Amino acid sequence: MIAVDILLDGLFAALAAIGFSTLSDPPRRAFPRIALLAAVGHALRFCMMEYLDTDIASASFIAALSIGFGSLWLGYGIHCPMTVLYIPALLPMIPGIYAYKTVFSLIMFLQSLNDPALEVQYMQQFFLNATVSLSVIALLSAGATLPIFIFNRRAFSLTRRRRN
Amino acid sequence: MTETLDFIAEYATYLLGSGVHTSRVVRNSQRIGASQGVEIQLMSFQKNSIVSIHDPRSGESVTRAVRIHPLPISFVRNSDLSALSWDALDEKLSLDEIRQRFKELTAKPYIRPRNALLAVGLANASFCRLFGGDWISMAVVFFATLVGLAVKQRMQARGINHFLIFTASAFIASLCASVALRFDCTAQIALATSPLFLVPGVPLINGAIDIVEGYILNGCSRIFNALLLIVCIAIGLSATLMIFRNTLL
Repeated sequence: MIAVDILLDGLFAALAAIGFSTLSDPPRRAFPRIALLAAVGHALRFCMMEYLDTDIASASFIAALSIGFGSLWLGYGIHCPMTVLYIPALLPMIPGIYAYKTVFSLIMFLQSLNDPALEVQYMQQFFLNATVSLSVIALLSAGATLPIFIFNRRAFSLTRRRRN
Repeated sequence: MTETLDFIAEYATYLLGSGVHTSRVVRNSQRIGASQGVEIQLMSFQKNSIVSIHDPRSGESVTRAVRIHPLPISFVRNSDLSALSWDALDEKLSLDEIRQRFKELTAKPYIRPRNALLAVGLANASFCRLFGGDWISMAVVFFATLVGLAVKQRMQARGINHFLIFTASAFIASLCASVALRFDCTAQIALATSPLFLVPGVPLINGAIDIVEGYILNGCSRIFNALLLIVCIAIGLSATLMIFRNTLL
């Protein structure tokens, strides 16, 4: 059952990545690799959060790091810059529910200005959700970009056809 | 030399307009410059760039300021035009040859809006599932996304203001998703997921890359732009939430 959960998680992440990537017009040859990276990254985050009790921010960072290294490795064969592979693969990890709750608690805060107890409760929820959303997004982009700094010569010549 | 400058200015602004992060544009342009035996310096802001060319043999330099035209984000062009800059250097292409290939590569068609519609609908439905949504809410999100994205595409075709487009599409997508409140399903998740296809992921991540690579001003302007769009999405979603807030509590 655990294996099925993990596979399903990867499958839906891959579907989401492929679908969203059409908005940024990627090369056709990149689709299978984007799907693979998204599936591995999201399933990794899912496992860490479900079975190792990791928090969403650290789990996202490690998943993004694996996507970053993966795109460095996979971009080589198809002459694609890393960003072409890793930006679509990161999209399914955007913390949508936290972002939604941020907006929702802000609205409810503004609606309950006359009730001090509710007011505090909604303000607290607003900060909690906003903090989680922002840190996850920042860590996602930092994690995926880190490999560029470590292997910058290789990262900068992925689209070169002639290898030296 | 002005010919080379004109081409590189066109090349660089084309890349900047199609959503390529700054350091890649600078490297690619300098590489093409190197293939022609000249040095290139490029300074870029969100709407204009300044390109300067220097010939080390004659000591001449020429500078031009050019406008960046907003284009649809395109990773195909990002990959192909980056590869072109390497080919120019490795195969020692002439300027005419590079210009010819540039024309061919930029003439490739974009993904058809209808295909994108279906793909994004499915993607957002899968996204809903990742957040723990059930099958009914996935179906609702699929249709809400179709409507929302269709609205966005129509409005974009008419050249309406960006911020209005994002607010309206987020409102309409979440309004359609509020149908889920009538069913016994994970309606909150459906509502939350429906406007997420609008999130400007590419400028956000490009902005972060620019900042860490030292193009801090450019990165900030990209992120600021993306944040404004996110605020618009939030406003559109809030309008729906205001209508249904009693049902949601």
